[in-house]
Amino acid sequence: MNTLQLDPRTKLFLILLCVLCAMFSPSLLFQFVLVALIGLLAVVSGKWKYALRGVAAYALICLFTTWCMGVMTGTWRTMFVAFLGLLHKVYACGMLAGIVISTTKVGEFLSAMARLHFPKKLTIPIAVMLRYLPTIREDWHFIKDAMRLRDVSPSLLGFLKAPAMTVNCIYVPLLTAASKAADELSIASVTRGIENPKPRTCLVEIRMRKTDWLAIVFFTAFLALELIWKVVG
Amino acid sequence: MIEFRNVSFSYPNSKDGCLKNINLTIPDGQCVLLCGRSGCGKTTLTRLINGLIPQFFTGEVTGEVLLNGENIFQLPMYRIAEKVGSVFQNPRTQFFNVDTDSEIAFGIENQALPHDELKARVKQTAEELHIQKLLGRNIFALSGGEKQKIAFASVYTMKPEIMLLDEPSSNLDMSAIVELQKHLKLIKSQGKTVIVAEHRLYYLMNVVDRILYLENGSITGDYSPKQFRALNSAKRCTMGLRTVDLCKERPLYFAAPHATPVLELRNVALSYEKKTVLHNISLQAGHGEVIAVVGHNGAGKTTFSRTLCGLHKECFGEYLWNGKTQKPKARMKRSYMVMQDVNYQLFAESVGAECTFGIKQPNIPLAEKTLSELGLAPYRNHHPNTLSGGQKQRLAAATSMVCGKELLLFDEPTSGLDYDSMVRLAALIQKLSGMGKVIFIVTHDYEFVCRTCTRILHFGGGQIQNDLSVTEENLPKIKSIFNVG
Repeated sequence: MNTLQLDPRTKLFLILLCVLCAMFSPSLLFQFVLVALIGLLAVVSGKWKYALRGVAAYALICLFTTWCMGVMTGTWRTMFVAFLGLLHKVYACGMLAGIVISTTKVGEFLSAMARLHFPKKLTIPIAVMLRYLPTIREDWHFIKDAMRLRDVSPSLLGFLKAPAMTVNCIYVPLLTAASKAADELSIASVTRGIENPKPRTCLVEIRMRKTDWLAIVFFTAFLALELIWKVVG
Repeated sequence: MIEFRNVSFSYPNSKDGCLKNINLTIPDGQCVLLCGRSGCGKTTLTRLINGLIPQFFTGEVTGEVLLNGENIFQLPMYRIAEKVGSVFQNPRTQFFNVDTDSEIAFGIENQALPHDELKARVKQTAEELHIQKLLGRNIFALSGGEKQKIAFASVYTMKPEIMLLDEPSSNLDMSAIVELQKHLKLIKSQGKTVIVAEHRLYYLMNVVDRILYLENGSITGDYSPKQFRALNSAKRCTMGLRTVDLCKERPLYFAAPHATPVLELRNVALSYEKKTVLHNISLQAGHGEVIAVVGHNGAGKTTFSRTLCGLHKECFGEYLWNGKTQKPKARMKRSYMVMQDVNYQLFAESVGAECTFGIKQPNIPLAEKTLSELGLAPYRNHHPNTLSGGQKQRLAAATSMVCGKELLLFDEPTSGLDYDSMVRLAALIQKLSGMGKVIFIVTHDYEFVCRTCTRILHFGGGQIQNDLSVTEENLPKIKSIFNVG
């Protein structure tokens, strides 16, 4: 099945729109529709499981929130409402960011940023970071093995029993691996001319397609609806 | 043409890897091997050619390096990158994209070639290097050898005049090394200048035109392949160089008459994510046996090793120690793995503390004794990260000795080690074997196997293909497993 491929520039713009939508959201219902909309985006991008999990988790949070508002009183209520309020504001953006990061190729990102005339000093570190994220998962497998061989349990229970030791066992090798990987990645990129000032091209064609405009129209319409609702309501 | 004129360099805060007064001319189209001990300066020399020094690694530089008459120090990195392509040791951290096509195009995308040409070049590269079947794949799912091929292809696509390779074979198995050799011959035939810094020399002997030997930052030997091959092995060993001809290597230890078995596997099958990786494994091993575990990438060596140590749980069949069935937890208590990248398993802030890390009532005298036996006592208060690769391995082995582990597993221990470190590691393994430990070594390194192992366990097709004691009769078969001769 053909999955939706959006232009990296569209994705950035969608994140911006999403932040605005979350900010101006007039009610919980709107928040939920926004998350559902992002879920839909995930589905057409070929990320079924991600969409399902994201929306289901958010539904639970919404239920919990309404329950809190109805039943709780006093300090507990204030505390939970404050915490949940924050969660509601960032949830949608976090979910969208997850989709963006997992569907954007590093090269594609760099080329799109070059089109937008973003300075390379800014985009190269972000590209290295994007590339570094998946290596953490590989590192984690090795570190888990190493910990177990030393009789340190890499589980929640182990953490509760000996928090300092567990944290130490994770962050020391992770940090060592990270600094090495970052150096090697940078070297591999500068020796292949990443700093070339010419506007970078890309094997994957970068252009705004109908679907890009469609996605932007959808999210903008949603934002407009929110604003109208606020004014009218 | 590359010219070094009176070049000296030193890294800040380190004596290793400095260069002293280098004068060197490498004409176009020459294929040069740089060799010498770890820290002799061969990597530094390559960094002066690809511009990483002084632009990425700073330090004190004097003299000048000329590339076709132009001073490299005055060229920006991206201009050097158009002429000099570099391939590095670790395939894991050399790629920037998730899919192979984009990765191969990465360099030429930076050069801003038009879209149609990008496509044509990627296709051409894949054809010339015979890697069409790697196109359109997820890089994270490739083996180390395949990743290295993609790294090579990405640089090749940029069509540089000069190709630099820094220990490219470190993480490759025998068959991947053969393919690397083919690729080197190909670029040489295209008239490119090729410079390889390496510890493993045998696969380069009929590729290179010239061999430079570095010692403490100076070039002290400049040989033709013929002169180099004529060096006798005693001389080569004092120079700290690994073998030039695997065929001449012979096992040092032959299998002793069977010791009483302590470890026994009965009809063990292993699966990974519900798919069977290995089945029908039965074997016995006694105290002091040193067993090489060999096989192609994906043959199940990693799963097998992790199972021995109790780290892998999808395991069916019987695992016995001294005749008693062992649960994964008990196996984990008894065994230790020295990982390929030992950095993952060093946790403490000093070498001394590392030895007793995580032990509730540590035996301090034993830790001290172990450290001095392994030559690590002088570094007691150093941070583990400041040690060399070989020293880190010894430290990891030391921790296993302090914990009293009885089964030891080494995963590709010789990758990136020079001759001296390899010899020291072989001595350590002999010592551990003498203490009665059961030792497994996952390796592709025939030279190292000759120096340590008494038995070869060969995996293939989801099972044990061969289980051979190292004896005179078995030697031809062992050689064929390692592609030697």
